Amino acid sequence: MADAAALESPALTRREFLYYIWAASTALFLAGSGGAVLWFAFPRFREGEFGGIFSVPVSSLPQPNSGPLEIPEVKLWLVNTDQGMLGIYKVCTHLGCLYKWVPPNSRFECPCHGSKFELDGTYIEGPAPRSLDRFEISIVDADGNMLAQSDEEGNPVEVPGGAAEIKVNTGQRIDGKPSS
Amino acid sequence: MATESQKVPPNLDVGEYPLLKRIREKGLRRGLFESIDEAIERTTVGLNLADLRALLQDRALSKPNVRLKPHADAFWTHIRPTYFHTDAVGFYPTLRLGWLSTYLFVLEIITGIFLMVFYTPSNVRAFPNMLNLLSNVPFGQFVRDLHRFGAEAMVAIVSLHMLRTFLTGSYKKPRQYTWATGFLLFVVTLGLSYTGYLLPWDQLALWAVTIGASMLEAAPPPVVGNFVNVLVKGAPDLGAAGLLRFYLLHVFLFPTVLLALLGIHYYKVVVHGHSLPPEKEEPGVDTAARIPREKRRYFLIDQLRTEMLWVVFVTLVMVAIVVWFYDAPLEPHANPLSTPLHTVAPWYFLWIQGLLKLGDKTLMGVILPTILIGAFTLWPYFDVGPNRRYGARRPAITLSLLFVSAIFILTWMGTPDFAVETSPDQEIMFEMAPSTKVGLVRAIPYEDLVPGAYSTEDYESTVPGDAPELLAVMEEYAHLVEEAQEELPNAVGFMVIDQMQADLRGVTLRLVWDDPTQSSGQNSNVQLVPVHADAGYKKE
Repeated sequence: MADAAALESPALTRREFLYYIWAASTALFLAGSGGAVLWFAFPRFREGEFGGIFSVPVSSLPQPNSGPLEIPEVKLWLVNTDQGMLGIYKVCTHLGCLYKWVPPNSRFECPCHGSKFELDGTYIEGPAPRSLDRFEISIVDADGNMLAQSDEEGNPVEVPGGAAEIKVNTGQRIDGKPSS
Repeated sequence: MATESQKVPPNLDVGEYPLLKRIREKGLRRGLFESIDEAIERTTVGLNLADLRALLQDRALSKPNVRLKPHADAFWTHIRPTYFHTDAVGFYPTLRLGWLSTYLFVLEIITGIFLMVFYTPSNVRAFPNMLNLLSNVPFGQFVRDLHRFGAEAMVAIVSLHMLRTFLTGSYKKPRQYTWATGFLLFVVTLGLSYTGYLLPWDQLALWAVTIGASMLEAAPPPVVGNFVNVLVKGAPDLGAAGLLRFYLLHVFLFPTVLLALLGIHYYKVVVHGHSLPPEKEEPGVDTAARIPREKRRYFLIDQLRTEMLWVVFVTLVMVAIVVWFYDAPLEPHANPLSTPLHTVAPWYFLWIQGLLKLGDKTLMGVILPTILIGAFTLWPYFDVGPNRRYGARRPAITLSLLFVSAIFILTWMGTPDFAVETSPDQEIMFEMAPSTKVGLVRAIPYEDLVPGAYSTEDYESTVPGDAPELLAVMEEYAHLVEEAQEELPNAVGFMVIDQMQADLRGVTLRLVWDDPTQSSGQNSNVQLVPVHADAGYKKE
């Protein structure tokens, strides 16, 4: 009979129940604190902090299909193709290095892992997962009226007559198409 | 002596210094000696002068097991075992690598704290601090080189220790958790090395770490990847916030985690006993924890003496290497707007860079390493065969050696020359005037840089006779241009040296070759390299 009593698990006491409630509330508290810590540590920054809109006069644009124009402070390549203008983000889509324009090969090449891209940013070869990212650009005339703007896919924008400036919105980035 | 009239309360000693009491009772010499003896016994936590001298003379001790008392009652000796198995303390098969790993960790802490005196984790101050350390602080370069070399050595030694414990099957029951904590220690060591890499804030630091941090961004799904990436970097790009976060990880979080894991790891080693060489045990029987009397080597004082001698010896070797053979590199100030050619990951991460050249960064950079970490940590829970002998573990040993070979191959693939070639003119300019090293042109002594115009076609006649270094570099220039003739037809290399200011000469390198795609029929690459009379660039 003593054995039977020992095998039977005793009923839940108030003390034990309160311990469980206490543990659950501590767990909830820790989970909340963990969330607060992550929220605390997540940096404050402004989207596209290296500038909002950056303006380039049309006169300084490169010739169609010649090399791109480099604007380093804004991490921007201005590219003039047959179909129009593009503002390409200077950071390689692979692992964040700044790729270069290589004139003898007439293409962009990244020095870190060898990713290669066409003048308009299309992926050629290499470990990059997608073509180069583009910025939203708009073309304005001398009075500031907007004449043309990039579409959602970031396709090249033709430069119409009477255009005075190209405005590159470095806060709005359009991801390139996947490479495979 | 208390009398009735003084009524001293019970249990309260009449205050008197024990030393004075002894002198009064036993005379000056005897009293003084006994007090000193007691002080020694308290300091050593159990060994009075006679016991100490018996230890040092290797004589039998007066009381049995008195040398075990410091282990029981003192703090620093508490975790060390009282005695070791004589078969486990030799050079084979452990090469004392676990001990060496701990030594290197302590070395890194000490040298690290010294460096902290002269370093600030600010993107503006860090690089000037490095220059100050290297040129202005006595032994500054020595401490920095020792710290960097110690870090690389620690990664190597810890890896070898892991390989050794695998080969001797020391991870088998009951030591599975020791292996698991050990592998986590390895990962934290890599983390320490990686976070420290950023701190000099030169081009090498910034770009090597940018590449590594971008791998975090590849973690699926994109929301998590972006969150973790920005959390660690402190901003979308590595800058002041990132440097501070990496510094905190490096000097506080990772060392704390490492110390905690090291405590658990070493405690487990002591509790189970250091595993014996596989051939010394019956297969499947773990006799390491029960050490027969004749196989005991006591920590106090024999093993302690050996360890102290090893400390002296290894320190001597490290100092000699650092003084005569090793120089920690420092490239120009970090420039977030320009990625230099041929950025190299630290050698222990080249295998990851090789992996990344193979395919998608999410697969190779995140998923594969995660699988590897899981596989390594849980290996002992799958490989449960009780026999530790080499002959009984051929598949496991073969697998480990194949894995080591794969790491070597991936490491070679990670070197910058493999599969990352840019155009020949950029490669030539990189040889002549790299942005991150001295290169050929800057090493020419100022006096040899005679102002004039030279070309790879006629330098033999135009370079003056008293400028041999200039002649040598022009020769190399001509050689490089010659080699590139196939891709750069009719290429000619020019070098124009002019006196820019009183003590400043400008070397303009110009490479011209035929290029039918250009409207002028030619293409060119131009670099300007200013060299000051007092620059003192050393040839590499």
